Amino acid sequence: MIVTWRIRLRIALIVVVTIVLQISFFSYLSFFGTTPNVVPLMVVSLGLLGGGMIGAVCGFATGLLLDSALLQTLGVSSLVLLGAGYLAGRYREGAEVSNSLIPPILAGVLTTAAAAGFAAIQLMLGVQTTVSLLVLREIFIQGLLAVILTIPIYPLIRRALRPALVDDLSALGARSPIARGASRAGRARGRRIRRVAGVS
Amino acid sequence: MYRKQVRRRRAILVLLVVAALVLLSTQFSESEGGPLHSMQRAVASVFGPLEEGTTRALKPARDLINWVDETFNARGENSDLRSELQELRTQLAEAQSAEGENRQLRELLGLDRQGTLAGYTPVTARVIGRSPTVWYSTVTIDKGSSAGVKVNDPVVTGDGLAGRIADVTRGTAVVTLITDDRSAVSARVLPDGPEGVAEPEVGDPSDLLLDFIDRSQPIHRGQILVTAGWSNGAISSAFPPGIPIGKVSDTSVGDQQPYQRVHVNPYADIRGLDFVQVATEGPRRPGVPG
Repeated sequence: MIVTWRIRLRIALIVVVTIVLQISFFSYLSFFGTTPNVVPLMVVSLGLLGGGMIGAVCGFATGLLLDSALLQTLGVSSLVLLGAGYLAGRYREGAEVSNSLIPPILAGVLTTAAAAGFAAIQLMLGVQTTVSLLVLREIFIQGLLAVILTIPIYPLIRRALRPALVDDLSALGARSPIARGASRAGRARGRRIRRVAGVS
Repeated sequence: MYRKQVRRRRAILVLLVVAALVLLSTQFSESEGGPLHSMQRAVASVFGPLEEGTTRALKPARDLINWVDETFNARGENSDLRSELQELRTQLAEAQSAEGENRQLRELLGLDRQGTLAGYTPVTARVIGRSPTVWYSTVTIDKGSSAGVKVNDPVVTGDGLAGRIADVTRGTAVVTLITDDRSAVSARVLPDGPEGVAEPEVGDPSDLLLDFIDRSQPIHRGQILVTAGWSNGAISSAFPPGIPIGKVSDTSVGDQQPYQRVHVNPYADIRGLDFVQVATEGPRRPGVPG
């Protein structure tokens, strides 16, 4: 991802819009007794598109804003989302996101892991509760809902960040700096060969 | 060059993890008026109007989606409600005769017939935000200190107790619901049952637990739980007495246990709150900051 100021602004806007939608819309919905959580899947999407560092920084910032907006314990969401964003980014750096099923599956797995991590931190902070089936069900269903919600949300985020994505520049009719350089080098090589061969 | 980049990435990652841990531990040791809490309130007051606008704008879409889920649940609920109606008819007859007796006794004692929240100024507020996890059962409302809302003010719905104010900004306030892990309400089982502390079971907004109730005390399904509102002069409950909390859904006693666990269904629809009422400017309750 080529990160310019304009792209940073777009990422910040995506983060703020997702948090507001989560607090004011998604948190009111109930599927099988569980509330969908789009925040981790947004962070995973940013990690998948931008790499480990962007995933980690966005995860941290998103967690900080979410905890502040809801007046929750600061740092808990930051720590969990930072991990989710970084892992998604590392996956992208190590392997090609060639299959369209990879983002939903990865978002599902990392949302489940984030929810489990969140629960573990809460228990460590002294929340007096047993690890009941209800909590496990909540974590599992949140992961499943993340898989479903990533199908429309990941392409939306990808579209919003399209000018910054190196993979997508060709689709826009533009060429990446590397492609431009390679083509220039190819033309120069052609001219050299033609000169040596005496062809004008 | 590559190694330098890797080192830089690792440094940023470690820095972020350390920052998150420092925030976490600092906030725990910090007082309510500390810089981190103030920063949180500032961010919350910026998000407040955004949340309010979004909540209003997206309410029809939200209702439509929830309608689908509710239709599935309605079938089972219908048969439960029919049997409950039978029970309530019997209870109504008993209650009407008790009410007559009560009125006469009050007159005899010279007491005014007052509502549960007499002495408080009710402030109606719209719910504009909600926590997405089961670990924090909190909602944000669109009334804050400018409307007279203070920390620890009781929050009720038309059905019963919803929670209490946990934090206030100028235009918004955060309500810790009775299903939040940090919530504990001193409660009394009606008509003359024991008192205990109603605490939530994390992950289940439809269940509260009244624990450590002597097993010899008979408590039956359907009995009503209200706030006890106790006070010993130095400390007291944040809630005034008599606010309905819920009704007993089940009691369980372990073989070796001297206590029974009483499960309570809250009256307030915790998941579907749209409007709440904050009881402000009430009589000072000793030991309750606010």
